[in-house]
Amino acid sequence: MTATVLVPSVVSPVVVALYLPAIFTGIIIGLIGLFGISYQKNDLHALILTDIVGIGMLIIVAAVGTDLAESLVLPGLVVELAEIMAISELLMSREMRRLGKTADLIPLPLNLDMEVLTTAPIFLAIILVAYGAFLSGFTGGAVAGGGILFYVLSRLTRGVPSNTWEGLAGVSGIAWCLWLVGFLIFFAFPPYWLLALFLAAFGVFIKVTFKAGLVGVMGREEFKKE
Amino acid sequence: MDISILGGQMLGIIPLGDIVLYFTPFNLFMFAAALAFTTLIAISKTESQVEAEFGTLKNREVKVDKSEFKIRRFLAIVCGLATAGAMVTGDLFDFTLFVALIAIVNIGIVAAVKEVDVLDSAFQYGLIAMIATLPLFGGAAIILASAGTISLLQLLQIPNSTMILYGSLLLFIGVAGETGVAPFFATKAEMFRTPGSPFLLIIHLSSLLVIVRTIEILLILNKPF
Repeated sequence: MTATVLVPSVVSPVVVALYLPAIFTGIIIGLIGLFGISYQKNDLHALILTDIVGIGMLIIVAAVGTDLAESLVLPGLVVELAEIMAISELLMSREMRRLGKTADLIPLPLNLDMEVLTTAPIFLAIILVAYGAFLSGFTGGAVAGGGILFYVLSRLTRGVPSNTWEGLAGVSGIAWCLWLVGFLIFFAFPPYWLLALFLAAFGVFIKVTFKAGLVGVMGREEFKKE
Repeated sequence: MDISILGGQMLGIIPLGDIVLYFTPFNLFMFAAALAFTTLIAISKTESQVEAEFGTLKNREVKVDKSEFKIRRFLAIVCGLATAGAMVTGDLFDFTLFVALIAIVNIGIVAAVKEVDVLDSAFQYGLIAMIATLPLFGGAAIILASAGTISLLQLLQIPNSTMILYGSLLLFIGVAGETGVAPFFATKAEMFRTPGSPFLLIIHLSSLLVIVRTIEILLILNKPF
């Protein structure tokens, strides 16, 4: 095999020439972030500056510009978010321990008293869920989940039935299994790709939708509603 | 160059679509070591430990809180499984993702001890791990861009180039920052004297195994002989 990397002829030379500048941009951004961290003494500011270094990483990965690179950007972003959330949680926990106080996970007073929350929740939730089902997949799940979350928020002021949310969390788990089965079929039995595609698409749709169910369970524990 | 030079004879591959796992005695040994240690963690009950008292002949029993202990054990098991995965994967980006997972889980293991000094150390390790994602993923992306593939079996057949060398240097810096420095931060907080600490050894084991595997991958990428 030769070392020449295949760049299809449809790709314009301008795009190909952008690769090296993009890599240098990413590395320079990373260096700027590192200089900032070295000057900075405040822990919170250091954390935020570290995020800039992570953005430099995303630029370098995205500079490759193929569909494979696109599938690498998403895990990179997830890793970045997971780490910044873990570290900020750690920072909060340390400061709380230093002060000798405890705080709620979500310090929400939840005194939402808006008219739209009493008059329109079911209508808006149904529209959002229906539109999400039409989209299907991850995007649709996010839209429909927004609808259910809106419903939860409006009901939370009056009290949420706890059984409903545990059921939703269970369905979410089953849908996640469907998604995994879909992926396994992709790998193990490629001829049945259509079945796998639909399992994965609707599994992730239901799963992302009912993520809101977990928020509901947390809400019950946090706010001690019936 | 052949993979069999590095790891003994090739025992077989598992083709999962694009991702092809391959097995050599070298990989399998490290895989089995990681899994065996993980099994030990999963079945052991280390929530109470006996310490010798200083100056007398008595022993003292130290107990750790059950909930804290459960979280740390779970994180240690995840860390062991991720290490085992990183040992056998035949895909460069899979490897970097396993390394990043090990780093996140290590932050969790170190941060599970609720003391200000330990949390301070965990925070500094977290910053280093986050900074190290730039060379880690950036190196893998540069290798992908210059070789056109991230399957190790394919990378074997691609001749050397300066960009691949540059990418593999970045990759090595990234791995060192993500898991290589973890034992230093765990030691800095003197975590080995806290009760329930046998799990911490998984940080050292994963760091060691991942560095060894990284060296194998760098040899595959750059083909020095």
